[in-house]
Amino acid sequence: MIRLEQATKFARTRGIKKPILNEASLVLQRGRSVGLLGRNGAGKSTLLRLIAGTIRLDSGRIIRQGRVSWPLGFQGSFQGSMTGEQNVRFVARIYGVDTRQLIDYVQDFAELGPFFQAPVSSYSSGMKARLAFGLSMGVNFDYYLVDEITAVGDSNFKKKCQEVFRTRLQSSDVIMVSHSTSTILDYCDCGVVLEGGKLTYYDDVQDAIKAHKNNMKGS
Amino acid sequence: MNPFVTHYRVVGALLIREMEARFGSKPGGYVWALLDPAAHIILMTLLFQAIARAPALGTNFPLFFATGYLGFQFYQAMVSYVNGAVKSNRTLLSYPNVAPFDAVAARAILQSLTTALVACIVLGVILAYMRVPPTLHWAPILEAATVASILGLGIALINNVMFLKYPLYEQLFTIVNRPMFLISGVFFLPDAIPLPYRDIVLLNPLVHVTMLFRTGFYDGYRAAGLDPVYLYNFAFLTLFLGMTLFTFSSSLLRNE
Repeated sequence: MIRLEQATKFARTRGIKKPILNEASLVLQRGRSVGLLGRNGAGKSTLLRLIAGTIRLDSGRIIRQGRVSWPLGFQGSFQGSMTGEQNVRFVARIYGVDTRQLIDYVQDFAELGPFFQAPVSSYSSGMKARLAFGLSMGVNFDYYLVDEITAVGDSNFKKKCQEVFRTRLQSSDVIMVSHSTSTILDYCDCGVVLEGGKLTYYDDVQDAIKAHKNNMKGS
Repeated sequence: MNPFVTHYRVVGALLIREMEARFGSKPGGYVWALLDPAAHIILMTLLFQAIARAPALGTNFPLFFATGYLGFQFYQAMVSYVNGAVKSNRTLLSYPNVAPFDAVAARAILQSLTTALVACIVLGVILAYMRVPPTLHWAPILEAATVASILGLGIALINNVMFLKYPLYEQLFTIVNRPMFLISGVFFLPDAIPLPYRDIVLLNPLVHVTMLFRTGFYDGYRAAGLDPVYLYNFAFLTLFLGMTLFTFSSSLLRNE
């Protein structure tokens, strides 16, 4: 379960203070995958980072029960000077996972060939996405935070992602940000719309998409 | 999960990553960490042997420079390496369980171990080649090394924040820190400076580091003006300031 209580967060740039979350409360139950919808710049990615815990709220609190992944973006959180393998090894160490097993899994999944032993800075964005996705699937999380990652890669890779993801989702949940409603429909059971600093929960993902489309029409 | 276990794990992982990055990227690897200070000491020895007959203390040039340089190095190497700890590990901070302080801790541990190892080897070689090796007093040696490292860590903590916040400060710090090598008693004795000026020189805490370090090697060295209390106060106050600033700047360090 993930619970937001009176969560408030402002985005600050050069004196402009824009609320991303304004005393928003939300409960996400275990066993339901959530699609996060909202207009461009509403703060969906920031919300994911807040849930992950890499940034902090200005006030209020977030309670997490279960292992929450880092936010999976298509850029990945890789150190460019380290090789793919070193990055994987690093993640295995910080999460206390068996190193050898994770390396084998990711190597097999990401299909990077000899590039697995090359610095990540030499990767294309597709290669980074493959590594990022493989890596996160290799570590067992209760919640996967996904930021548009499934939008990258060719059709073969997408299919493979879907298959792995589906098996993972039998025991784990996903909190997903995507601009593609079809992706959200594919993976999510329920939806949350972020609009004007408020979070609205919809038990049916269809309703969430409808509400989101309404918001977009209104402006 | 127990937060201590997480930090322990993360610092361990960062330590390995830093070692790979620092020593694994070029041929020779760890040897360079040793060769660099050794070359400095040899160079200084050759230079000053040409100018003077005997060092300011004792008769052995290499020992005189090595004791000054290595004592100073506990501070200098710490600062220059830990300064960029957060900056160069920034992408890894996007993992929720990696805290900015972990990056600092990993580099500080690696650097103090490296400097200690280098000091042992370089000084060990010099002492082994001396005809009458001096009796070592370990207490002041360890004391000086520890306090110098703490001072270096404190300054580095401040710099990690300030370099990110004010890029101009980085330039200023480099300009101010560079002559430290010259005024910290590495190749002169502060005791020998006439009085009104000596008090000014003694304001620099690093002078006390080199003096304290040398008292462990030179039996007859009186170290006039050495004030360990001043050194301790300065180092711990800096560390406290650094930790406070670092703690309150977590959002800046996390690249929010």
